Amino acid sequence: MDWWVLLAIQIAIIVLAPFLAAILLGLDRIITARMQNRVGPPVLQVLYDFFKLIGKKPMLLNRPQVIFAVLYLMFVAFAFVLFVLGLDLIIIFFAAAAGSVFLAVGAFTVRSPYSHMGANRELLQIAAYEPVFLLALLLIGIQAGSFNVADLYAVGDLMILLPLVFVALIAVLVIKLQKSPYDVATAHQEIVSGPYIEYSGPYLAITKLGHWYEFALMLGVITLFFNSDNIVVSIIVKIALIAVAMLVVQVIDNVTARLTKERMLKFTATFGIIVIAANYAIIVVLQNVGVI
Amino acid sequence: MSIIEKSRLKSPWLLHFDTGSCNGCDIEILACLTPRFDIERFGILNKGNPKHADVLVVTGPVSKRAKERLKRLYEQMPEPKLVIAVGTCACTGGVFHNCYNIEQGIDKVIPVDVYVPGCAAKPEAIIDGVITALGKLQKLQEESHKKKGAK
Repeated sequence: MDWWVLLAIQIAIIVLAPFLAAILLGLDRIITARMQNRVGPPVLQVLYDFFKLIGKKPMLLNRPQVIFAVLYLMFVAFAFVLFVLGLDLIIIFFAAAAGSVFLAVGAFTVRSPYSHMGANRELLQIAAYEPVFLLALLLIGIQAGSFNVADLYAVGDLMILLPLVFVALIAVLVIKLQKSPYDVATAHQEIVSGPYIEYSGPYLAITKLGHWYEFALMLGVITLFFNSDNIVVSIIVKIALIAVAMLVVQVIDNVTARLTKERMLKFTATFGIIVIAANYAIIVVLQNVGVI
Repeated sequence: MSIIEKSRLKSPWLLHFDTGSCNGCDIEILACLTPRFDIERFGILNKGNPKHADVLVVTGPVSKRAKERLKRLYEQMPEPKLVIAVGTCACTGGVFHNCYNIEQGIDKVIPVDVYVPGCAAKPEAIIDGVITALGKLQKLQEESHKKKGAK
């Protein structure tokens, strides 16, 4: 493939991915509605919300609030760009984590107690899922022998060897997508929308775009799990993996009520780490026996 | 019509404020959110936050205490915004008309776009009120385009 074709594809992915993520979130809202016996909004609803927010009159409380929202967007977008360029997974992880922290810092710059509560909970969420996410990426890297995303796409058997890591990533996805039972930061009926409460209009739209990039990055990590030489098979299985992960998250969202932040911390950290450790132990045993 | 103007009509987020209502109209508003009436099909979400909201849905006659709060909530909402008065009390003061502690309807405090009468207003009427308000917004947008064109 010519270098400019590859560059064009990469730029197209970087620009279009958040909007595809938004359409996926729209589908998510429809499926949630159907599970609750409702009709639900149109597929493009999330995009309508976004463009409406852009068109609203800007109202800001202080400048740092906006700066941190933009930093959040820049860091998660930067992480996604690194992912698309096929660079180091660990750098990607830290860039995305820094982005999430900036969101919490932005919420701390205003005086609203709900915003502070949301920011505290956002930091707790980061403390809950980041170690699990990092361990998952480490195990993927160890198994593939490289942390470069470009190399990882050349490895075929990650799903067969690391099924439990995939399960742990679903626990991370539940928190990242702000779904029950661990949507403690944005808890709608409880602290209205937590860290987002004091953002309005176009500034809220910036945080939304950041959230889509974060989501797109998570989906990117999920697509690492299956690769095949046949590109059609590869794409179909990748889409199937995303669909399975999203459906599981939706079912979990619809059958659970919100739990406390302490429960989130205990469950996600212990469950995630135990599951990933078990996966690694099984691989080591199988390698010693000589099966793989 | 630009994509932003189209999106405005597709995604009205509600803020519900009770200025001293008997809770009759409030229950009907909450009924709109249930699967039976499912207002999310119009893109409507109940936000509970003035900074995210586009439509202020007010129930109840405005008591002297609630007056300031209503004003502040209205001012915290970014433009463009719509106000819907739900129920007879919100429209005119209803049975509380001329009470010593009541302003006569919310249009004495903030500008109102759509009045939804009824005691209590039916969920169908409330949904119709929101859609009517969006129709009004669409008309305003078209008129502003015509004005720009005339210039």
